[in-house]
Amino acid sequence: MKYLAQLALIFALCLVGDLVAYLLPVPIPGSVVSMLLVLLLLVSGLLKEEHLGESADFMLRNMTFFFIPPGVSIIRYTAIINSIWWQLILVNIVSVIVCFAVSSWTVMAVLSLQRMVGGGRRG
Amino acid sequence: MAEILSSPLFGIALSIAAFKVGLWVNQKIRNPIANPLIIAMTIVVATLTIFKIPYDYFEQGASFIVMFLAPVTAVLALTVYRQRSILRSAFLPIVIGTFAGSLAAMGSVLFLSRILGLNDAVVASLIPKSVTTPVAIALAEQLGGLPALTIASTVITGLSGNLLAPAMIKVFAVKDPIAQGVGIGCCSHALGTTKAMEIGDVQGAMSSISISLSALWTVVLVPLLF
Repeated sequence: MKYLAQLALIFALCLVGDLVAYLLPVPIPGSVVSMLLVLLLLVSGLLKEEHLGESADFMLRNMTFFFIPPGVSIIRYTAIINSIWWQLILVNIVSVIVCFAVSSWTVMAVLSLQRMVGGGRRG
Repeated sequence: MAEILSSPLFGIALSIAAFKVGLWVNQKIRNPIANPLIIAMTIVVATLTIFKIPYDYFEQGASFIVMFLAPVTAVLALTVYRQRSILRSAFLPIVIGTFAGSLAAMGSVLFLSRILGLNDAVVASLIPKSVTTPVAIALAEQLGGLPALTIASTVITGLSGNLLAPAMIKVFAVKDPIAQGVGIGCCSHALGTTKAMEIGDVQGAMSSISISLSALWTVVLVPLLF
């Protein structure tokens, strides 16, 4: 019964997320709203980790499993993939490099700014 | 035979079996290229093709599994919540770094896609591909993309980040462990994070929290930008 209760709670939170997403003026996926909602409830202390418990951990541990069916649906788009496969790979790899460079350099910049400010205070 | 194969149980059982084999091969080979998701997808596609099983039959069961994508995304909040102490340890570098990285990832995808003349549905599938898969799928669907293409892209992205991480650290002269971790997690989600964990504990922790933060930033930025 414990697991069923956890699942029921998780599903209910998803439904609330869907409802909020439907009411919001900006287009944002219901599942993402649910994630933000769960985060808000956890941070506020209204929801405890154990309320989501083993059912949530089961889903998180086996997360990859849930991507198999949508991944398999790629066989319906073989024509598209065949026509743009190298562009896909190129866009993906280049954006990885750009994203890494920008994020790591930004972190280094923020860290050195913090050191300067911190150093200034001490001096 | 059709009655049995069109039962939802067939698609579910096939997916679980394929996943089991994927995990097993991945543990044996211990190389990120032996990605359990790619192996499982290949097994399912091969099974359907070889035995000439209509995709519609598989989809009967697949739809039950897909239904769980929303709950999986919702409980991702737990991983963010559990990492709050890491986040506090370097709050501004992580928050600002992942913001810049998420913008750069989406910007570079958009720029390159336009140059290469990719169509709108493909671009929509690619824009959120740097973040963790469940969030990427949800955002791609919202933008009018094809989830299958998004999944393929998140895997290519994750693998590239994993394989290129040591070289990128050298080329861009990123000496700070926090910057290394945030960079890897932001550009290549969980697949890159396994490499960050090999590089060091700080890098691993920073990479993990950056998966969550870059997903949150992307969620905020997508409706604003598109």
